[in-house]
Amino acid sequence: MLEQYLPILIFLGVALVVGVLPLVLGGVLGPQRPDAAKSAPYECGFEAFEDARMRFDVRFYLVAIVFIVFDLEIAFLFPWAVALGDLGWFGLASMGVFLAVLVVGFIYEWRRGALEWA
Amino acid sequence: MPELPLLLEILLKIGMVVSPLLLAVAYATYAERKVIGYIQVRIGPNRVGPRGWLQPIADAVKLLTKEIILPRQANRYLFLLAPVLALVPALAVWAVIPFSDGWVIADINAALLYVLALSSLGVYGIILAGWASNSKYALLGAMRSAAQMVSYEIAMGFALVGVLMAAGSLHLGQIVSAQQGGIWHWYWLPLLPLFVVYFIAGVAETNRAPFDVPEGESEIVAGFHVEYSGMAFALFFLAEYANMILIAALTALLFLGGWLSPFEGLLPEAAFALPVIGWLLGPGIHWLLLKTAFFLFVFFWLRATFPRYRYDQLMRLGWKVLIPVTLVWIVVIGLAIGFNLGPWFS
Amino acid sequence: MTLELAVFYGFAAVLVLASLLMITVRNPVHAALSLVAAFFAAAVLWVLLEAEFLGIVLVLVYVGAVMVLFLFVVMTLDLNVSQLREGFVRYLPIGGLVALVMGAGMIWVLTRETVFERTTPLRAGADYNNTLAIGQVLYTEYVYPFEIAAVILLVAVIAAITLTLDPRRRRTSKSIDPAEAVKVRAKDRIKMVDLRQK
Repeated sequence: MLEQYLPILIFLGVALVVGVLPLVLGGVLGPQRPDAAKSAPYECGFEAFEDARMRFDVRFYLVAIVFIVFDLEIAFLFPWAVALGDLGWFGLASMGVFLAVLVVGFIYEWRRGALEWA
Repeated sequence: MPELPLLLEILLKIGMVVSPLLLAVAYATYAERKVIGYIQVRIGPNRVGPRGWLQPIADAVKLLTKEIILPRQANRYLFLLAPVLALVPALAVWAVIPFSDGWVIADINAALLYVLALSSLGVYGIILAGWASNSKYALLGAMRSAAQMVSYEIAMGFALVGVLMAAGSLHLGQIVSAQQGGIWHWYWLPLLPLFVVYFIAGVAETNRAPFDVPEGESEIVAGFHVEYSGMAFALFFLAEYANMILIAALTALLFLGGWLSPFEGLLPEAAFALPVIGWLLGPGIHWLLLKTAFFLFVFFWLRATFPRYRYDQLMRLGWKVLIPVTLVWIVVIGLAIGFNLGPWFS
Repeated sequence: MTLELAVFYGFAAVLVLASLLMITVRNPVHAALSLVAAFFAAAVLWVLLEAEFLGIVLVLVYVGAVMVLFLFVVMTLDLNVSQLREGFVRYLPIGGLVALVMGAGMIWVLTRETVFERTTPLRAGADYNNTLAIGQVLYTEYVYPFEIAAVILLVAVIAAITLTLDPRRRRTSKSIDPAEAVKVRAKDRIKMVDLRQK
């Protein structure tokens, strides 16, 4: 099994090289002549005012939290789907209960307006 | 070291995947401009080389010789790391993609899980780019983009679960061979809703039109990569197109039978025994490439046809339409498997 | 297999280094990224133990989801470093105590010989399928823990919504609701005042 993961490790290394090499080449071949106007953050020609790192609507955090829950659900669904052939009705039922509990959460989210972005 | 020949062999294989892929990315940009050009009744790039064939090369050279501008208040290491982090997962996924029966670099059992895990890493390049630039448009674009990718990833994951249930394996080669038996056995038919959801989620995951709100030029200029120029910008471009080709290839593998031939079971056996025509009609890498090219064309077609979604509409589509559809269909497949419903789940 | 050992030591070093960086660097975004690197190295170690499902899920869930949330929070919150440092002195006694207890616990576990006997990894065959093996027992033999996980996730969703969504202030953005806008009549907006009197 491990010998199948060796190519992946090497591929990751190659991908890293393919990613870094253009940056290095670009740095070598391209000019480096920064000036105040060029290196200012783009703000439609205005001088940048206040710090760009601002606070965001809480919905962005909520979406990330809910995403974690759903992502875990997917992680639970994967081995289930693979082993489905051996599990029979009992396996189907246990996932049915699992999904039912989480659908309750999904409906709650929906009704509370956690999915509204208007 | 005794493993040296093995390592060389692996490197050679990787080169055989990465170099055509990078070439495909370059020419996908050309194809996109041509396709959109013709849809809009113009001819697209036609100056560099015959019929504009050398345009991608010219673009690459131009980007290579442009200055990589570092914004004044940027966090310079993260600013340069971000495009690399965007590209690495987009390339590394290709390690487990089979091109024909057994033509794969890393033949792992958990291939589909690996694909999902690596595509979830793509978001790092984008949020880091947005944050490290220290620019308002960049941060806004990055946050939008991250929330969007995260939302559509769930729909995408659920769609994949459906495929897994039908195939009973995470191994991409086994998923394709489970679809054997002619065009009606490919999963696009029994898993039609998931097929549609997967492709839509794929378009949204790659931040392509009509879901390109993160870089919506009319509202937040270019989103997370406003501050990027030269090769740093080119890396984001590469990553986006590599991801597009990946989604197209995965859709072909998971729902359209991958390298299987559509003529399987339709033509008499004698047709497949013919010298050259038989090979063309039979299963092979050419079918996978053809199907991938078709889905890539759909990407371009969508961009030329649809106006951009509004952000609230986009989130509504992801959470309130795609996720419920996939959940319902997972239950349907589960019952179909439980009752051995033929011809697909028996 | 020497290569396997080399990979193990390489990523174990990355793991330790990234963990140390995570607790020592000043910038919270850098700390979060070090944690990402640590998770990634841990995933490689798990795959080395032939736990491919767990290894990849670690990347999928922790790197792909949990750390994205962390980055969201850390990127947009203006953390006051001096205030944090004040807290460091104040919480030092309690923190030291917790560290001491945890350290003692770790030493106790690691010095028992049985640990190493039990953790010798089993070498499975080439066709061993980690995902299938988990799937075969998780939904049958361990069905109660599995359903409890569902309930915990449900609680997490409800808690997150309760903490973040303020029921008194549903609409937080300044966007216009078209349905409300078209209902407006002139008398809602214009008030005629007679100035001739007085």
